[in-house]
Amino acid sequence: MWTDRALFLLCRCVSSCSSSDDEDKQDERVDSNDPEEMFQNIQYQKEIIANIRTRPWPMRRKLKVLKQAREIVLRYEGRLTRTRGYQTAGADVFSLSQMFPLSCRGHFGSGVASYFIFLRWLFGINIVLTIMTGAFIVLPELLAGAPFGTTRSKTIPKEHLASAQDLDTIWSLGGYLQYSVLFYGYYGRLRKIGSAGYRLPLAYFLVGMAVFAYSFIILLRKMAKNSRLSLASASDENFTFCWRVFCAWDYLIGNPEAAESKGAAIVNNIRVRDTHTAHSLDCPYPVTLPYTNILVLLSLAGSIYIIYFVVDRSQKLEQEKPELTLWEKNEVSVVVSLITMIAPSAFELVAQLEMYHPRTSLRFQLARVLVLYLGNLYSLIIALLDKVNSMSSAVSNWSDSSSFLATISQPEVDSFSTLVSDISVSEHHNSTIATIATVLDVRNSSVSSSGSIFNQTALFEKNTRSQQDPCWETYVGQEMLKLSIIDMIFTVASILLIDFIRGLVVRYLSDCCCWDLESKFPEYGEFKIAENVLHLIYNQGMIWMGAFFSPCLPAFNVLKLIGLMYLRSWAVLTCNVPHQQVFRASRSNNFYLAMLLFMLFLCMLPTIFAIVRYRPSQHCGPFSGQEKIYDIISETVASDFPLWFSKVMSYVTSPVVVLPALLLLFMLIYYLQAIARSLKFTNNQLRMQLQTERTEDKKKVFQMAAARLQAPEAAVDKKPDEQESDITSQEASIHTPSPRRNGSVTNFNSPVRRGNSIRTITQSASRADLNRGRGAGSVRSPTVTILPKHRPEHVPNSGTCRSKSYHHMAYSPPARYSDKIHSDPLYRKTIRSIHPVEAAGIITAQSYGGRRGPTTRYVIVNEHDPRKKLLRSATRIPRHYLMEEPAEILELYPRNFKRYPPRTAHRQPHPHRPQPSQPHLSEEEEEEDKGKGRRRMSLGKTHRPRSLSDLHQPAHFYIGDRGESHASMAKDSHTAQGRYSLLVRSRRHIHSPGRHCQSPARTRHMEAYVKPKTRPKLETPLTESDSASLASSSDQQNSSTDQYIQVIHNKEHYLKSDARQGKLAKKKSKTSFDLNVTESNDLVCSNV
Amino acid sequence: VCRETTVESSMKRDNKPNCPVLVPSVILHSRYRELAPHLVPLDYTNNPDIRVPLALIVAMPELKENPFRDRIVETFSEDGHGNLSFNDFVDMFSALCETSPRELKTIYAFKIYDFNRDSFICKEDLRKTLNKLTKGDLTPEEVTLVCDKSIEEADLDGDSKLSFSDFENMISKAPDFLSNFHVRI
Repeated sequence: MWTDRALFLLCRCVSSCSSSDDEDKQDERVDSNDPEEMFQNIQYQKEIIANIRTRPWPMRRKLKVLKQAREIVLRYEGRLTRTRGYQTAGADVFSLSQMFPLSCRGHFGSGVASYFIFLRWLFGINIVLTIMTGAFIVLPELLAGAPFGTTRSKTIPKEHLASAQDLDTIWSLGGYLQYSVLFYGYYGRLRKIGSAGYRLPLAYFLVGMAVFAYSFIILLRKMAKNSRLSLASASDENFTFCWRVFCAWDYLIGNPEAAESKGAAIVNNIRVRDTHTAHSLDCPYPVTLPYTNILVLLSLAGSIYIIYFVVDRSQKLEQEKPELTLWEKNEVSVVVSLITMIAPSAFELVAQLEMYHPRTSLRFQLARVLVLYLGNLYSLIIALLDKVNSMSSAVSNWSDSSSFLATISQPEVDSFSTLVSDISVSEHHNSTIATIATVLDVRNSSVSSSGSIFNQTALFEKNTRSQQDPCWETYVGQEMLKLSIIDMIFTVASILLIDFIRGLVVRYLSDCCCWDLESKFPEYGEFKIAENVLHLIYNQGMIWMGAFFSPCLPAFNVLKLIGLMYLRSWAVLTCNVPHQQVFRASRSNNFYLAMLLFMLFLCMLPTIFAIVRYRPSQHCGPFSGQEKIYDIISETVASDFPLWFSKVMSYVTSPVVVLPALLLLFMLIYYLQAIARSLKFTNNQLRMQLQTERTEDKKKVFQMAAARLQAPEAAVDKKPDEQESDITSQEASIHTPSPRRNGSVTNFNSPVRRGNSIRTITQSASRADLNRGRGAGSVRSPTVTILPKHRPEHVPNSGTCRSKSYHHMAYSPPARYSDKIHSDPLYRKTIRSIHPVEAAGIITAQSYGGRRGPTTRYVIVNEHDPRKKLLRSATRIPRHYLMEEPAEILELYPRNFKRYPPRTAHRQPHPHRPQPSQPHLSEEEEEEDKGKGRRRMSLGKTHRPRSLSDLHQPAHFYIGDRGESHASMAKDSHTAQGRYSLLVRSRRHIHSPGRHCQSPARTRHMEAYVKPKTRPKLETPLTESDSASLASSSDQQNSSTDQYIQVIHNKEHYLKSDARQGKLAKKKSKTSFDLNVTESNDLVCSNV
Repeated sequence: VCRETTVESSMKRDNKPNCPVLVPSVILHSRYRELAPHLVPLDYTNNPDIRVPLALIVAMPELKENPFRDRIVETFSEDGHGNLSFNDFVDMFSALCETSPRELKTIYAFKIYDFNRDSFICKEDLRKTLNKLTKGDLTPEEVTLVCDKSIEEADLDGDSKLSFSDFENMISKAPDFLSNFHVRI
């Protein structure tokens, strides 16, 4: 703990120093006058400005850097940036997010917040839609269109004029409202209006389509963005527990009740992790299922029937009664809204009958409500279109007779023949709707006499009474707008009644009631996020459905949403309690959007159907007089574009082009899908590769090691460089399959992270530096060469010794930084107590303490050494080897041993020449193995003692074994064992600085890529629960220990041979330690 | 609240107190001043060194229900004891705001959960986190189990504690980290 903290602080210091260096550099760069450099500088500063928020710096520093950067940019870039800055500032001031009172979000957590975010987003969409319709349809019509009362479609019929201002007429959107820009019927049919020649009908059609197109695009983009943001879907990995711990708390929660329920939910969540899923899997079909589903289906069917019935009834009423009451006028929308309100609650009751898991039941509930909403909208629109059908057939009658009458009334003496021709002409125009029967009827009437004409007039009068201006588009628009209004009223009423009044009652009447109102029956109203979001979706669907027929519907919806937002937030704050089963906000984000998309698609269908299928009204609206609404396009192309364009268009729209285009589209879709599938496959492959990479690595390394073993020893001694290059190539081949390790940063990091390989790096560096004869190199190499010598002496010993050494190691880390001298006596004492005879051991132990400081530094110094990568992997070689085949190593061992004496002899003349790096290396590798093994074992702290004790026995056993050959060494090994734990412990400290020193965030990012590699290896110890894996790991441990001991033997042997100076060396080492704490050069000399 | 303008405008305020400041940082500063009206001046001409103590910050309605409120404030305070200058205050809410990037949030979340500030989340940190989160509702055995499991899940390098990269890797795949880890002022 202490060390880590100290190191952390140290690294912080280092990083801050480097950052101040950065700042200095910035200043320098500012001063330069080279234009190219200046440009780059500006780019750099801009980058800083852009990314300043992503830096985890304290605000003071951010401000400083930002200020600097801004000054530089301003100074060099002129005024352009400044104006832009003001623009962005203005945009910020007027940004949408500032306009809303979202304080409620701070109280109920992100679940409720997601509702309001969704609401806000819908609001944004509606604003855009409003602008589109307002700017391109409503405003031109108001400004340049024919004023009110000039044309027939814009005048209120005389018989309705009297009641046009009555409240109930206005309320049911009749009268003046009906003949206003609110509805389709008001718009003029003139192809060009105003002095500029604005093509209103064309604009109307295009905007109507653009509304859908825009909605689709924005929805899909949002969904894509969402799925990009949530990386969860991309990976199979799940960190269930971690997420439950680190992502469980909702930082938005600011309400004690919400906090409490959230806490309880978290506890529940953690406790019963699997039971829920098990439950829902166990009984997916509870006993009550048929009944409940039948109930729901029945209610759905009932609601659909009721809506159809109501629409039908209103139609009949309109035809029969001259004056409709207020109820009769609003019947349809009221009924629909009532169903929308009541049915979800009914479904909820039904859902309580079935014993589903809350999550499942919520899903069911959502699905049912969605179906209900869709059914409502669809039955409504179908009923309306049905009505339109009957209406337009009536219209055809009416228009015929009206033209007939017009011709009759205008000229008194007109021949019947002209009449007939007139009628037939008109018949031809209306060919689709008018039936042959009516044609015959009219013919008959015209042929016969005025008697039948009276008949016609009677019919006409009847028609005029019911629908003197039958504009079905207006009618649909009216219904939609009415529905929207009534829906709003119902929502407000439900908020006030169900939430507010109930809250009041519960709060103030709970005292004078025999049961607890707050917790039992009425309770407080819950804020049901899912249902409310669904309601928003439903509402938006209504808008999409009616937007074509009532251009002001989006504008109305904007008002509605604003009101709803304020009211909702007020209600949530005052009288709602948070929903107990919160539908996961982020995961549901795309779920809601998907539902919205579904809704959009389904709501677009009726509009498209109406546009394509029905004939526009003959006397109202921008498309009056056309056969189909979309004819406006072809008409515009034909009349207003040059001839070639219409020709091109005719070609393009011909089946010759359309069919291949469709085919191409299908092919494209198939191709893209195939690509997506293959990408997915590749993804899986890569993941698999990552997982197996570890084993692959091991195999190759094994081959390499085998090859190395077979190579003649002499060659090893003479040409270590060659061999190393061999390793290099093999290493490269290992590294190429894994693309992640290409970055140089990674290569730098990985050795640092595994502190064990540091020594090899330094070694290689010293090797490289050797020829140049640099001082630093010479300093480094001795420390390296020392290592193999003293390391192996630490081998696990009896329990007491171990604990003692542990104790001391716990103190040593701070000593390294604060005062090493203080720790020194401790060291000596312990070592002496362990083995007072062994001099060499003490030397090494102390040289350890002295050496630790430099090690960390080496990492930094050798940062740019390209060779460390190779060597790092080289260090790994025997480890894998060991892990897989422990038996082989025993054979491997003697060689190293044999090589040992020559190496040391070699070293004597050239103290800092690590030429025999090969044997050297291998020893270190073994050490590293040990370290790794240690780390594995110490994964779970609880298991550590166990593994250690496991370790002992085999170690002793082997000692005994080898004791025959190296009889003199038996006791040495024994003492050496005692410090094995010491060694391991200290080594951990050694490599910890390496970790901490990589403070820059970027290297950390790279680390993430390095890490997965180590994972597979760790998996055995991670599943510590099963004893088998533990045993296996301890076996590995044992095997490595064996070798270790052997090495020790050999080395001790060597040491003993020239350890006439044993005592002397001990003293020397002490002094050298005290004096040359940082420079261990002398230490080596003394040692040798 | 937390666009770049906050940084910008608070910077302006530090330099020239008379220049027009934008709305968000005015709100922020008024909130900051609400906490300790006697401590926080309106005039920053002489760059006074003002710090609001932890106890006052923690009482903010945005934080008062948060089990990690002390850690949050400590993390963002420059002196490490939870005393926030206005800069730190802005820093805190800009890191916790809705629009701040995932990387930044990850960094600060890691710092918040790293109770002993050794730049590793060890089991002790996890235990503290859990106890704060559940207010001691879990039994010690359950806590230990969850700690072990969490470490087992996320620890990639096998040192039985979570380094930042472990944490980042884990959190980048969490579906609701971004939506949960934000505070709105």
